[in-house]
Amino acid sequence: MVDWQYSESIESSDIVSIKKKYSNYIGGKFVEPKSKKYINTISPSTEELLSKVPLSNEQDINSAVKSAKEGLEVWSKLTPNQRSRYLFKIARLIQERSREFAVLESLDGGKPIKESRDFDLPQVAANFFYFAGWADKLDLSWATKSLKPYGVVGQIIPWNFPLLMLAWKIAPALATGNTVVLKPAETTPLTALLFAEICEKAGLPSGVVNIVTGDGSTGSLIVNHKDINKIAFTGSTQVGKLIQKSLAGRDVGLTLELGGKAANIVYEDAAIDQAVEGVVNGIFFNQGHVCCAGSRLLLQESIHDQFVKKLEKRMQSLRVGNPLDKNTDIGAINSKEQLDKITSLVNEGVDDGGELFQTECELPGNGFWFRPTLFTNVQPSYSIAREEIFGPVLTTLTFRTPEEAVEIANNTEYGLSAGVWTEKGSKILWTADRLDAGVVWANTFNKFDPSSPFGGYKESGFGREGGRHGLLSYLKASS
Amino acid sequence: MKNMKTSDVLMQWSNVLEMVYESRIDSVGLNERVNSLATRSIKKDSKLEALKMIVTMCDLTTLEGEDTEGKVSQMVAKAIKPNPLDTSVPSVAAVCVYPSLVSVAKEKVQNSNVKVAAVSSYFPSGQVPMESKLLDTKYAIDSGADEIDIVINRKAFLEGDYRKVYDEIVALKEVCQDVHLKTILEVGDLKTYENIRKASLISLAAGSDFIKTSTGKLSIGSSRQACYVMLKSVLDFESMTGIKAGIKVAGGIRDAKDAIRYLVMINEEMGSDWLNPELFRFGASSLLDDVLKQIKKLQTGAYQAGYYFPRG
Amino acid sequence: MIDIKKTYKNYVDGKYVRSESGKTYTKELKNEFYELPLTSRKDIRDTVTSSKSGFIKWNGLTPYTRMQILYRLSEMIEGNKESYIELLVSHGMSKQKASKDIALAIESIIWFAGLADKWEQLAGNLNPVSEEYFNISHQNPIGVVFSLSNSTVSLNNLLLSLLPPLTIGCSVISYSEESSVLALKFAEDINNSDFPPGSLNILTGKFENILDDVSKHVEINLVALHKEIENDGLKRIQENASSSVKRVVSLPSISGLSSILPYLETKTVWHPKGT
Repeated sequence: MVDWQYSESIESSDIVSIKKKYSNYIGGKFVEPKSKKYINTISPSTEELLSKVPLSNEQDINSAVKSAKEGLEVWSKLTPNQRSRYLFKIARLIQERSREFAVLESLDGGKPIKESRDFDLPQVAANFFYFAGWADKLDLSWATKSLKPYGVVGQIIPWNFPLLMLAWKIAPALATGNTVVLKPAETTPLTALLFAEICEKAGLPSGVVNIVTGDGSTGSLIVNHKDINKIAFTGSTQVGKLIQKSLAGRDVGLTLELGGKAANIVYEDAAIDQAVEGVVNGIFFNQGHVCCAGSRLLLQESIHDQFVKKLEKRMQSLRVGNPLDKNTDIGAINSKEQLDKITSLVNEGVDDGGELFQTECELPGNGFWFRPTLFTNVQPSYSIAREEIFGPVLTTLTFRTPEEAVEIANNTEYGLSAGVWTEKGSKILWTADRLDAGVVWANTFNKFDPSSPFGGYKESGFGREGGRHGLLSYLKASS
Repeated sequence: MKNMKTSDVLMQWSNVLEMVYESRIDSVGLNERVNSLATRSIKKDSKLEALKMIVTMCDLTTLEGEDTEGKVSQMVAKAIKPNPLDTSVPSVAAVCVYPSLVSVAKEKVQNSNVKVAAVSSYFPSGQVPMESKLLDTKYAIDSGADEIDIVINRKAFLEGDYRKVYDEIVALKEVCQDVHLKTILEVGDLKTYENIRKASLISLAAGSDFIKTSTGKLSIGSSRQACYVMLKSVLDFESMTGIKAGIKVAGGIRDAKDAIRYLVMINEEMGSDWLNPELFRFGASSLLDDVLKQIKKLQTGAYQAGYYFPRG
Repeated sequence: MIDIKKTYKNYVDGKYVRSESGKTYTKELKNEFYELPLTSRKDIRDTVTSSKSGFIKWNGLTPYTRMQILYRLSEMIEGNKESYIELLVSHGMSKQKASKDIALAIESIIWFAGLADKWEQLAGNLNPVSEEYFNISHQNPIGVVFSLSNSTVSLNNLLLSLLPPLTIGCSVISYSEESSVLALKFAEDINNSDFPPGSLNILTGKFENILDDVSKHVEINLVALHKEIENDGLKRIQENASSSVKRVVSLPSISGLSSILPYLETKTVWHPKGT
């Protein structure tokens, strides 16, 4: 009777002014790279060039680390209360400019404005607020005075939640009295550079936060710098292992937040409609570019058909498209490279014998897009059931008993997160206890909070971010 | 519309019971989903269409002790021509009155396509013996009601006597025959989402054509959350029986914006099949006035005052 | 020909076993000769198998039971105090220092025994998240811990290298070079206590022989080094460890709450609060 159309409700990008070219932020100043080289950053939803940012070289990293060392002199002499107030101020300034950040994040990274506006930015501010309050209570945090900051911390962050990962890194590092050299991801450097303006505006002493852009080679220069006291990395397990190896034999602290292949276990006595929503949110949130994504759906055999039917129906209502459209559920895939990787893994899944379901939504012409995808009839040995796809691709496996569910869930080198759906309380606790995962979402998925520690078991890394436990990532025990 | 003979047994009681006992809802997850649906915005062209659709889905209602023939006549006139100055505005779906005023309403609607609905079974409390409920309903039908709105027996429901709730609806449906039966759950009394789901499934299985949120007599009327629970129940019932039942939300739907949010939810979750007055209704008198204002606002670009529109 | 006075065996899975290689080495202490197993790569493999099942058994006990088993150990050592002192003296320690060491060792066990049923209250907490969720961070023991003991011969040092992980439910492979005689004597008290087989395995030998096997073994979840490793060794260990993101702790803290932190995995569980 009615052809119902949602309006293209486009968030205006006028609020952001993107410069043609950016500089590194070192020693409280925006400085052109000594490398004289730049890399392009494009909008993944249009493939248009947004700007150029420095491809920093060894000299650039040297000056950033030097500046962080000098910054440490100042920062460590401030009172904890003064450090706390800087963080509060930063939090407030982010809140004030949050729409600008959100639009820029969606432009540069491709995530829907709905998420950058309602999730990323509120969480960014919340992280600075949360850790601001710890800065002057460190002696209470673990009831000891023997925990001390590392000093200069090198931080390398990924492209999936560019500004939020920055907040997860910088807020606790500064609260614990460290200074930082942070490198945003190659494809999403812009919000980090805008954050540098916030630091400036907050009057943060120069050198406390240094932001340098570049690619993998730049990251490796930070890792291998002799004056770095600690590295905090979020990214792939593959790169994480390389970093761990590079640091071997050196007295440098390390925390790693790496990949995942989370099981989302749905028992037959779950609240099915909410489980469907949770599964959708678990894998399609942020285009599936989430290390803790619930990418393996474990369904109890008795509800498999019913559940898949509901899930497919629900997936059809997902809207893929312009990240700046407020009605968009799934934005652009972050890069061509990532799109190719997803495509190739999905093809492999089909070749292996997986049954493919993709939604019928229209995709825009330019840019990088991938339809919400569901695989059924998958064997645990298929690569789509083992490898991290990091895209909107869900793989379904089945189980018969709770024991079997746990066994399948833990049958992976990863251990970042897991989901459990059942209305039976004791089964939740039984299952949660047995899952090798740093975060277990029971009857929910992909929930985050600055006070809630996040981080993995096994090859998903070590150390926690967020909460009281997150402080330990930036403090070392000293006698 | 389905034509159901009263002898048809939609579902065995044991199946109904099984469904009822498997009503599992996580309220936090449900709230999050409903809130996320509220962020959808619709196109301007679609919006005008949506507003007119809302008019066609409205049941104008007067259910007061002070109701008179005059009051009912006034309301029917408005139901037929909600905005006499704009013929593009359609009639509403129905007028809803007490049984004693059905014949008056029926006489006034004449040839329009506005239906007359009667609340019966001792609306709103339903606290009378079954015989009285049957009599009340029979009287309304004999007076010409096209639709009957009944209330479930909340006393029995909250006491856990689901069978009694079911049997009463079955008996009332038998009286109704082809007359459209809307069963009011009174979600404000049921409180929990799981109760709303149980009551929905019982009512549907017992042969209700519609399930309806509220009587409008409690301070807690409809909510999008309650509607979401009901629509999921309707969908599950459909997948089990093939029968498409309708939903009526009543009480507490403040304005056009709120109503559109309901429609967005129906559209996303149930599909456009349900976007018609045969399967979805609003019971809210003040809603209509706001919708009329918004229609005119869209047409003229200016915000409107209430006195441009006739009293109902 | 050397007159072998005492032959010690590795303590694995609740039993005394020879190295499968058959190799031993000899240690001379004040005219007495000890023959000790030279742990091989295959021994490591077998030990890890035992430690894996030992972990499940040990961690499966209630904290209250683990507390009592640890406390019982302190009683055993108390009862054998003299023989420990004698052994330490034969390592060249003064009698006074040896007595002090044993007293400290007993104190350490009692401290950790009492922690067994409290650490979760100290290291975990509710998190005040902003939405309607119950959110708790609690801890799991990391699993199988390989602990290289300190080069100083001291029962207290030896215990402090294994008590922190053991207290919280990890299974421990304790490996000694310098303190090998002491460690295997200590194994006798472990054997006479109620530790489930595999919860604490005690090996001796030359660490260099097994350094690569230990640091590469994926089922060893953490390597704790309680003595300085010459730099190249540490580098090799950490490089090997990186292939499975294995945790390596060099000279971990041995006192207070921070002593147990490296051996914990923090698990955070969310659940909605609704009706």
